[in-house]
Amino acid sequence: MAADPGADVHKRGLHEDSAAILIGVALVALALAIGWSGRPTEDAASRKAFPKGWPNRLAATIDKPQTWSDAPKQALVVIDKKDPTKVKPVAIPILLGMTWVVGILAAGTLLRGRSLPEVLPGACCLALLGGLAYLMAAQKVINYYNLEYPLWALLVGLIISNTIGAPKWLEPALQGEFLIKTGLVVFGAEVLFSRLLELGLPGLLTSWVVTPIVLVVTYLFGVHWLKIPSKSLCMVIAADMSVCGVSAAIATGAACKAKKEELSLAIGLSLLFTVAMMVAMPPFIQWAEIDPIVGGAWLGGTIDATGAVVAAGEMLGKNLDDKRPAEVAATVKMIQNSMIGIIAFAVAVYWAGWVDRDASGPKTSLAAEAWRRFPKFILGFIGTSIVCSWLFTMSPEFALLVDGAINGFTSRLRGWLFCVGFICMGLQTNFRELAPTLASGRPLILYCLGQALNLVLSLAMASLTFGWLFRQGVTP
Amino acid sequence: MTRPAGILPTIPPGLRLAFATAILAAVWLVVLPTVGRHPAVDRHVRLMEACDVNPSAMVYTELEHLPLRPAWIDRHLVLWPTGN
Repeated sequence: MAADPGADVHKRGLHEDSAAILIGVALVALALAIGWSGRPTEDAASRKAFPKGWPNRLAATIDKPQTWSDAPKQALVVIDKKDPTKVKPVAIPILLGMTWVVGILAAGTLLRGRSLPEVLPGACCLALLGGLAYLMAAQKVINYYNLEYPLWALLVGLIISNTIGAPKWLEPALQGEFLIKTGLVVFGAEVLFSRLLELGLPGLLTSWVVTPIVLVVTYLFGVHWLKIPSKSLCMVIAADMSVCGVSAAIATGAACKAKKEELSLAIGLSLLFTVAMMVAMPPFIQWAEIDPIVGGAWLGGTIDATGAVVAAGEMLGKNLDDKRPAEVAATVKMIQNSMIGIIAFAVAVYWAGWVDRDASGPKTSLAAEAWRRFPKFILGFIGTSIVCSWLFTMSPEFALLVDGAINGFTSRLRGWLFCVGFICMGLQTNFRELAPTLASGRPLILYCLGQALNLVLSLAMASLTFGWLFRQGVTP
Repeated sequence: MTRPAGILPTIPPGLRLAFATAILAAVWLVVLPTVGRHPAVDRHVRLMEACDVNPSAMVYTELEHLPLRPAWIDRHLVLWPTGN
């Protein structure tokens, strides 16, 4: 994410952003084409028959380690929940998942005009380290308390860089930014605009009014009041806290060219607070006798990570013997997930047009200057999002095609790309650069104050919309 | 090596990596499984498993069940002022 958008452009090859767009779009198109070629002959338009979309044959080529409790070898099999005697090995799809990462790194290397033999050994090693990070994240306690894989990928990288250092032969493969940009282009397929309307006006008000207000106020507070020297750090913290955690941090971090250290710090803060809020908020809602639906919307609007929102909603629902909080919480969070594309685009435009602008440089038009600095891969991210959103709304069949491609392939691939991208970041991260800011405690203060504002505004808006304005006797 | 290792400069790099790996192995293979057997943690894990929740989902597409507008919302909430 460092501010070197054109620094590694090779004379014979494509720019990093162009290579990321080309590969990302090709992968999404491949998933859709394979899904279409294997479309079901019966009940093709039935959501009931295909709740997670049409089966996609690419699903057999990629997976990740499964949750395990005592022995890591448990991560290599999927046990059927209804019939525990049915066991499906996933070692080969996991290995193939690593192969996809190596293949994408190789394709990116060739497109950018670099030497493939120099990259391959490092790419294989990084893919294996990605598997290790996924394995660490799959431990049951870690998994069920929402300590997501980016944290462990960063840790693995940091341990290597702070003990033996990154070996020379690994250096050519350390293309974390390229992997994350490609992952974001693929991720665009999951950001479906139609999901924004899933809860109608109450959902829109809860997400669209509060989220941008909290994002902007937190950013301005960090820059102007706390005087944190790095604007990109303020933006990444504001985005991961107000939108939806790690995924928002990755997208906005790439849009505002945040440093690796800043992204790592923001993700660490977000995950720690997510665990605390996931455990503390359901009993508080119950204790304060907040309406379950308002409480669910509040959880969805405030807890950073999507999985943690659903977990907290289920905990609240279990205590109250009511499924509605979890349903509202998950749907509000899904709306926020769908905002990532628009927010990343807005941040990229703002950064290119205003923050990064060199006042002492040659006088050019704002548009030309903004375009020159604009991170072009964001166009790939928005492009896949628009195309998949359009397909999704065309017909029920196309909606199931898109869902199948996402669930069967692109979502898993994006996970692997982010995971290995974070390994690279850990291997290249130098926390000493952030030491003065860290020692001042200002990032933590910024996160806490921003989250406090988020909690107050989200509760007020959830009470206004779900609790009063749009409510007509919500009784089962 | 790309840059000198940052911590514990007097210990050989290989030994530092072995030490860090041993700590990680101990935490993941001994400490976390033990923590997982604690009644409160075990209760949380079982609840999540029973509800089919994946708390480590980064975005909604990684959830076990896709969040769709529940039927009771259609019945009881006025979603748009001009609607039903």
